[in-house]
Amino acid sequence: MDIATLWSLRLGFSAKQSSYIEKDFKIFLQKSFVSKIDIQLPQALIDSPKTSEELKIKRQYLKNADPTEKKKYIADENKTNVELKVWWLEKIQKEEFPLREKMTCFWHNHYVSTFQKVKVNYWIYQHNQLLRENAFGNFRELTKQVLKTNAMVRYLDNTDNKKGKTNENLSRELLELFTLGVGNYTEDDIKNGAKALAGLGNGENNAVYRTKFEDNETITYLGKTGNFKSDDLVNIIFEQKNIPYLITKKILKWFLYDNPSEELIVYYGNYLKKNDFEIKPLLTKIFTEEFKNENAGKKIKEPLVYIFQLLDELNIKDANMKMVAFFLKDQGMDLFNQLNVKGWDGGNNWLTSQIFLQRNNASDLLCSRRIINKKGINADDLKQNPELEKINVKLDWNKSATNKEIIAELKNRLLFDADQSLQKDFENILKYDFNSNDPGAENAVLRLFNAMTKTPEFQLI
Amino acid sequence: MNRRNFLSLTGTFTGGMLVLPDFLKAFGATTNLIIGEQCVVFIQLNGGNDGLNTFIPFENPLYYEFRSQIALGKDEVIARNQGMAFHPALRNFADIQNNGDLSVIQNVGYPEPNRSHFRSQEIWQTASNSREYKSEGWLGRYLDLQCNQHQPTAGINIDSIDNLALRGLEPNSITIKDPNRFKVKNNADSIKLSENPQLDFVRKIANSASEGAAEIQKALAKSTAANTYPKTELSKNLEWISRLIKGNLNSKVYYTSLNGFDTHDNQISIHKNKLTDLNDAIFAFYTDLKEAALLQNVTLVVFSEFGRRVKDNGRGTDHGTAAPMFIIGGQNKGKIIGNNPNLGDLVNGDLKHEIDFRSVYASLLKEKLSFDYTKIGIENKPLTGLF
Repeated sequence: MDIATLWSLRLGFSAKQSSYIEKDFKIFLQKSFVSKIDIQLPQALIDSPKTSEELKIKRQYLKNADPTEKKKYIADENKTNVELKVWWLEKIQKEEFPLREKMTCFWHNHYVSTFQKVKVNYWIYQHNQLLRENAFGNFRELTKQVLKTNAMVRYLDNTDNKKGKTNENLSRELLELFTLGVGNYTEDDIKNGAKALAGLGNGENNAVYRTKFEDNETITYLGKTGNFKSDDLVNIIFEQKNIPYLITKKILKWFLYDNPSEELIVYYGNYLKKNDFEIKPLLTKIFTEEFKNENAGKKIKEPLVYIFQLLDELNIKDANMKMVAFFLKDQGMDLFNQLNVKGWDGGNNWLTSQIFLQRNNASDLLCSRRIINKKGINADDLKQNPELEKINVKLDWNKSATNKEIIAELKNRLLFDADQSLQKDFENILKYDFNSNDPGAENAVLRLFNAMTKTPEFQLI
Repeated sequence: MNRRNFLSLTGTFTGGMLVLPDFLKAFGATTNLIIGEQCVVFIQLNGGNDGLNTFIPFENPLYYEFRSQIALGKDEVIARNQGMAFHPALRNFADIQNNGDLSVIQNVGYPEPNRSHFRSQEIWQTASNSREYKSEGWLGRYLDLQCNQHQPTAGINIDSIDNLALRGLEPNSITIKDPNRFKVKNNADSIKLSENPQLDFVRKIANSASEGAAEIQKALAKSTAANTYPKTELSKNLEWISRLIKGNLNSKVYYTSLNGFDTHDNQISIHKNKLTDLNDAIFAFYTDLKEAALLQNVTLVVFSEFGRRVKDNGRGTDHGTAAPMFIIGGQNKGKIIGNNPNLGDLVNGDLKHEIDFRSVYASLLKEKLSFDYTKIGIENKPLTGLF
């Protein structure tokens, strides 16, 4: 695989950025770091409740609503959430420099907060937008801000954490999943942390402490004693020796290696600490140093990359993002809806034989110019017009090349490696007397493409 | 269950094998039950098999004139009959013919022949004419209509790559590289595949991922291996096909291929080896099915994308046109159909075809699979005298 394509897939979602990367990797990174953030409220959220007043009205309404009204309300909010997924997926597809979205998705899977539990689309959006704005920011400061999102305090039940009646959920995950990881704190730290977080509940734009429920007891947290609030907890956590490693490991897994070595984690982790937990210098260092190494094929593609790479290769520009959203759900990467607070494990967990089969089915369908599911189409419209199931597909390939050159060209874009027997199979599809001027040539190259995307090698970057 | 339902089922992450409740029902409902489950097995000879040195017009002086370097002598050829005889490597073809189980269809091809392997295979696989381009294969189109519900194992292709012939709108066929992996006790975990553990992991997943795997396992468990098969790849593939048939998999179509027939040079020895391989594999398969009393239900079809130039190019032959097809079993009439090759009337040095391959397809669909061949766009009349 050509190195620019490989890094385009790693730092984005398809091969779209490979020409930038080929030209100048450093400039590409710089431009990615300064990419603009769209602050316009998604269309889908215009009618969705946002202020605490509106949410209160909603709660009142649901209290008195009959079951059918209730059901309809819930169904509408679920639909809005699908629209929100579509909003994000469109962003992912259209972004000229998608590294920010790739990092947003990383944080989205680090500070998990799902719609299923939170049930307020606007809060989910706010949380997502915070991650976008701070995608390359400071890990410590971002952690502080995430603790103060309405989505997070609801998701990890801190809304139930009150003086005298504590709920430890947020306090536990702050240590276990967001920062230090198991083995670096005690159960007492969790208990005491919960006291410090007591009373931090939903507010207008952010979570706020409510005096009534606060616990101002003096506590000991990771060896420090005092009267602490959420920011203080985070500051104390970031003074701990092992703080840089969990996040560094996750970043290495997200971009490069399913199984990064301890050595590498410590090396980059220490750099993160030295730079006061600034993410941008860390990413710059990892990317520029790893760019020079031979390290292709060490990571299983996440479903997002799998599907956007196919859509991009086949030049499917007007792909229905609802279709994509439901494909991702089937693939175990449902946006805004991880199965639990740990998030998607990634690595080998991306694939089971059924998911692999489903990926192959998706490629088969796209290569036969058909949509992969009907989720994005109104059933009545489809009945009227079965053509809606069809899509335009156009693969780029060199029309004046020989069979072997075309195979090499596609391999370069699709496979990190291909052994002799694969090569033989490919030359069986595109034989030596293949004529690229033949009217059936387009279909034949598409079959080759289809076959390549079904190899185990295609699953890796 | 249609594909969409299947897709949504797989999204439930049950982790177990797929349950396809109506899998066995769909074929059971066809009228074929009355005459027993019929299936057709295809062997595609890749590269363009030299028909004239396979089924040989040994009494035609032109044969020796055109092929001064590679002709087979009158005393070498076997099973001589009405001017035609088999290549000596095909000694068991002669036996099968004696038993009345082999038909030879002579001069099979199509109008405006294309001499590109690539294109001519496409024509044979899609049953198109030489100016048409279809993206679905002829068997894929047949299976699309035959199984109005998605049947992952209605067609079985034992090969390393998908075959265009079986490609349809719905995935009614599967390609199996190595049926060994369907054996119930699979110790693939202990095999070291590469230096890359992530690649090994995905390869294992890919190996275990197959719709219909449960049905195939079941069929393999029900049947036993015959120990009479030689140790070649084609033999192995036919042995698996036989086990699937004996295990009642109920697939309509099986497909496999043999490479290496592109004999531009050094033809005599290459061709002999290839035909020996073909002969031995087919005879083992034939004997196996006969002993299992299944031969009447199984029709074996042997073909290639084209024959070769009548005149040799020295030690080999270049791409040509018409060639014989062989049909074994399935209660065929055991005849030689069509005229002997007319070496005196050539076009650009190639034989003129006399029987269109699509009329053979039409006959197979009509007689063996009880299917209206016009539904998949075949306009040729079925070949008569075959079954």
